[in-house]
Amino acid sequence: MKKILSILSLICLLGITYQNASAQCDSIANICNKNMAKNYISDGQSYRALLNNQEIAEFKAVFYGNSTYRISGCSGFTDGNLIFSVFDQEKNLLFTNSDQKNAPYWDLKFGNTLSCTIEAQLNTTNQASGCAVMLLGFKQ
Amino acid sequence: MVGVSYFYLSLQFFLTPMNYKKLTFKFVLGAAIGGSLLMTSCGPGDKKDAETGDKDTVNAPSLVKLGNAHFSIPSPFQTAMLIKASGAQYNKDILNPAKNFSKYSTNFKKAINLGVYGADVGYVTMYDQTQDALGYIGSIRKLTEELGINNGFDANTMKRFEQNLGKRDSMLSMVAVGYRASDAFLKDNDRLDVGALILTGGWVETLYFTTKAAAAKENQDVKNRIGEQKYTLDNLIKLLQPYYNQPDYTGLIDQLIDLAYDFDAIDIEYKYVKPVTDVANKTTTINSSTKVIMTKEQLEIISKKIEKIRNTIIG
Repeated sequence: MKKILSILSLICLLGITYQNASAQCDSIANICNKNMAKNYISDGQSYRALLNNQEIAEFKAVFYGNSTYRISGCSGFTDGNLIFSVFDQEKNLLFTNSDQKNAPYWDLKFGNTLSCTIEAQLNTTNQASGCAVMLLGFKQ
Repeated sequence: MVGVSYFYLSLQFFLTPMNYKKLTFKFVLGAAIGGSLLMTSCGPGDKKDAETGDKDTVNAPSLVKLGNAHFSIPSPFQTAMLIKASGAQYNKDILNPAKNFSKYSTNFKKAINLGVYGADVGYVTMYDQTQDALGYIGSIRKLTEELGINNGFDANTMKRFEQNLGKRDSMLSMVAVGYRASDAFLKDNDRLDVGALILTGGWVETLYFTTKAAAAKENQDVKNRIGEQKYTLDNLIKLLQPYYNQPDYTGLIDQLIDLAYDFDAIDIEYKYVKPVTDVANKTTTINSSTKVIMTKEQLEIISKKIEKIRNTIIG
């Protein structure tokens, strides 16, 4: 009986904690969305990850040619907490906001369609763990 | 071909349902631990003392999933814009009629056609067909309700959409934000399968009407856009692969893998060129170039296969 109660308590704790983490991510996403100017249309997806220390979140993205994209990356409730980098298919670095004082957003202008990898990690001097949110939008 | 086979065999090995369950569990556990840390360490007082050397500098960084999925699928709206710019005429017949929503009885069909309608609403909006757009938005709302997706397309959004009829940019923006809110809701509620289906439906419908536009009017940019789907199709298959053993998914994924073999025969030449950054305007211009090499026969085969897949989805 004690065992069952312990398991149930653990499940409840996990559930509550997970819900709180989701709520935190939602709040950060709302802040991050402020970086998306009106002339940028969202790609319709919301990229989130809970990161600790030097963990890196990555995802593959295709950027169409003759388009300008805005990448907005946030963690915590202030700017500069997330470092994001964009690499091409040969792993050449195309952009990193760490060269731009961890700018919370940046525009990338693509002449040709490219398949890229975006990596994001926390600026651990500011934040040891937290929810990382990335938003992508293209210019109308 | 051998390369592709090896790739997909490897994929199936790594993404067996058993492994996926482990990944999901790891994510939930990670979320819980991360959440605890977030609650206890977030906020102004969360700065770690950089001088203490507390950081884990020995261990190599580890990779985690972003958005619990490794893949981004481009917005259907961008391709609708390209088709309009190519001079192709508006053709309502190539879309899935908005009234069809009522025949979708399973969650699988509802979710995948929610994606199809997202692409269709982008297409009709691009051509300023406001009444048609209203019809699609109505169907989108009904499908989201039936799927229990509470965010994105509520009564308030519908009202704002009606108020902005005729304002193309605002309409597109509202739909995109609606889909993003739905995506966030599904991820928060661990319904990644539904999210993956919505993206799949949007991608299939977009590729379908792009092939129709290419057949109706010769345009190299439109043809290139079809060839470029090689990249996205690979990502899409990886996104769906965890659900391969679920009955509805098997046939769909098999069809997409079959299509991927045809895409694999298309060459895309790539040349890296150093990007140029304009700090004042917070813009980096990516100068690398790509060239799509696709034959007429390849285009015809892809067009036929995507039509078959699409008709299965909307049927």
